[in-house]
Amino acid sequence: MKLVTHTWRTLISRPPFYVMAIFFLFMLLVPVMTNDLYLIGVLVLANVYAIFASSWDILSGYSGKENFGHTLFIGAGAYGAAYLNLYLGVPPMLNLVLCGLIGAVFGILIGIPCLPLVGPYLALATMAAASIAERLTMIFSKYTGGEEGLYGLEPITAGPVGDYYLSLILVIITTVILMAIGYSKQGLILRSIKEDETASEAAGINTTRYKLVAFAISAFFAGMGGAFYAHYQMYTGPSSLSIIMAITIIIICMIGGMGTIVGPVLAAYMLTVSNEFLRSIGDFRLLVYTGLLVVIVLFLPRGVFTVILERLPRFGQNREASKP
Amino acid sequence: MTKDGLEIRAVTKTFEGLTALSDVSFSLEDGKIMGIIGPNGAGKTTLFNVISGFLRADQGQMVYHGKDISSLKPHQVVDLGMARTFQIVRPFKSMTVFENTIVAALSPRSRRSRPKGVKSDETAMNVLERVALDHKKDESVASLPMGDLRRLEIARALATYPQFILLDEPFSGLSLKEMDALAGLIRNLLDEKCTILIIEHKLKILMSLAPRILVLDYGKVLADGTPAEIADNESVIRAYLGRRGHAGVDTTN
Amino acid sequence: MVALEILIYGAVLSGIYALLAVGFALIFGVARVINLTHGAFYMLGAYTTYALSVLLNVPLILSILGGMAFVFILALCLDRFIIERIRTTMINVLITTLALSLFADQVILQIFGPDNRNIPAVISDRVTLLGVDIAGQRLLSLIISVAVIATLWLIITRTRMGNALLATAQDPEAAQLMGINTGRMFMITMGIAAMMAALAGGIVGSFLTVAPEMGMLPIIKAFSIVILGGLGSLGGSIIAALLIGYLETSVAYLISFNATELVPLVIIFVTLTFRPAGIFGKRRGF
Repeated sequence: MKLVTHTWRTLISRPPFYVMAIFFLFMLLVPVMTNDLYLIGVLVLANVYAIFASSWDILSGYSGKENFGHTLFIGAGAYGAAYLNLYLGVPPMLNLVLCGLIGAVFGILIGIPCLPLVGPYLALATMAAASIAERLTMIFSKYTGGEEGLYGLEPITAGPVGDYYLSLILVIITTVILMAIGYSKQGLILRSIKEDETASEAAGINTTRYKLVAFAISAFFAGMGGAFYAHYQMYTGPSSLSIIMAITIIIICMIGGMGTIVGPVLAAYMLTVSNEFLRSIGDFRLLVYTGLLVVIVLFLPRGVFTVILERLPRFGQNREASKP
Repeated sequence: MTKDGLEIRAVTKTFEGLTALSDVSFSLEDGKIMGIIGPNGAGKTTLFNVISGFLRADQGQMVYHGKDISSLKPHQVVDLGMARTFQIVRPFKSMTVFENTIVAALSPRSRRSRPKGVKSDETAMNVLERVALDHKKDESVASLPMGDLRRLEIARALATYPQFILLDEPFSGLSLKEMDALAGLIRNLLDEKCTILIIEHKLKILMSLAPRILVLDYGKVLADGTPAEIADNESVIRAYLGRRGHAGVDTTN
Repeated sequence: MVALEILIYGAVLSGIYALLAVGFALIFGVARVINLTHGAFYMLGAYTTYALSVLLNVPLILSILGGMAFVFILALCLDRFIIERIRTTMINVLITTLALSLFADQVILQIFGPDNRNIPAVISDRVTLLGVDIAGQRLLSLIISVAVIATLWLIITRTRMGNALLATAQDPEAAQLMGINTGRMFMITMGIAAMMAALAGGIVGSFLTVAPEMGMLPIIKAFSIVILGGLGSLGGSIIAALLIGYLETSVAYLISFNATELVPLVIIFVTLTFRPAGIFGKRRGF
């Protein structure tokens, strides 16, 4: 109990937490303030990307194992939801949890061979793994629906507003859990692995176990997000496995600021919403994102929100002063 | 075949044709301290890497407290009570002094070994007090001078409640005052029955701490004895004089 | 005879992959950069050649050279303005080059539309080689691949610039101390590799699809070649190129066409997880 109150008090004192609290409070009120179903639909999409981005960050941002194949976990969740729902009649809500678990299993399956890999090798290997999965859905199109994908999944709530609140709740749960992990002592260990894995091992840490757990957690939320997305669209297809999706998520995280959870979440909203406003010009999402990425990478490599969050005041306890 | 202490038997390690360690053997009883000296490139740090699990020996065996540690991973070696520091310090740069130490305090070894009811925070603080860094606990590592960084390395090792410590050139870059403090710390550790293996170039202070010295050159053990015996040993003298005078050996301290 | 057909057709493809792979390996070996825009160089070479020859009626050979020149300039700009600044952080390089590659695909898609295009062949006759009937252009591309790689080999081993490149590849700091302008070496490497890719794109345009995503598959194959052969080992790349080219052609004939795309991907994954240094690679590189 003391651990909970201690963690709670530490969390609240930090800017990211109260920033997110205010943000989510505002988001909860959106359907009350507007009837614009189009906007609400966009926000659902933003919620989904927030889940994808934050789940990527806990692994790649914190432990420094940059996973270029996050879509494998998303796709596992999405297709898993499709099969479970279409062929076994599993209800959508249950699917959220089950597909999270499916994702976690894939996380461990991919994590194990990739454990000894560092940096670019890991990125390339995970990218290859996700591409293999994408190719397989095309090759076995009889079972996966190929290009067209699978249709007919049950909707997960009664309507757009329901979808919005459910996805928002999922984002809140994901963000709170991942932030708790990130700012906890376990998060500190993940960060030590990113900084200097050798030194971390010399300090007695079983880095293999931590990396695998990070993979599993990251993949769990990705799978859950994938399952929600599939039910929301009542459809799933190879786009959830595409390299474009993978890049989009990574770009979102880099623009937001890797290793903060909050950065990627806020960036997901910022980018998804602004992308919709640009839609009137045409589907230029990739062009804009790439342009932003280049600017960030050249001039603000730590990400937009990291810098902002560090400048905010903090309340209460002042321990562990290095990260906001 | 002693059941305690560390036994190194015929350890050999080669890298792409270069023999870093060749048939190295020695034993060290619990609670004792031994120094390791040798010219640069003699294989001293490689020996530490092999013992602590960062490298796998090609041949030979290593036994600690009766257990074969030859194929253990680094964290498993720490788990048995053996901690090490690095020749070039490796702090976690984006973290504070306190956070650096806490990581070690969160290791399974630390959790098991600390007294009941003591939390990792306390362990970290205790260890920082021992190395006199507690007043800087919230400072970012990036701003610390070398002397503090060395002490931080040692603090991290201590946080795992080791019974055996491998110190790799701990006196390098320290002021006279700091060297005194560190020597005092080492003596305290010896009083607490900690076993210490220490690589060092500063012969004077090393020989004041260690009654036994191992000399390595080109991966081979040249000599193993008291400071007096070492100083008299012909092959040792040749090894050092053969290299531009006293290169690699600092006798001023 | 099927075996001979596989042999010769496989050689054509292997030659193309080798051109791409060698360029890619060069960039990695010298500049230590994993350049994911390499596929875009290939694609842009093809499209520029197409635009010049088909839309502007420029003679074919000049169009190909034009494509090479355009891509060369692009590559230099890429290196000078972007990669130079982010060289030290590998993940930034990876994600940026990958994003730029997709960006290029999108731009071309917007300009030319999604339909496949064709570039006329330099040699439009068919030829009979060792009893196998083959399009003259394919044979030409094989000859050019071999010639270019041989020339590159000569340049690297015989000229002063080549020596400078090798020195930079082995140890950039030492090279710099010796007075070699490593920044310029990096740029030259990028330029040469890009030109090779653009040349490949211009030549294959008559017998392989010219489409915005045409760079994706070849770059994956180039990866698999370089990784299997060993990053940093040019000889290894060539051997791996042959291996993979033949493996694919065999799979296409014997199993199914769809399955061939899996070959390079599986090779990449397996090589990285079991033997990251590749068959001949010595230097881990990171």
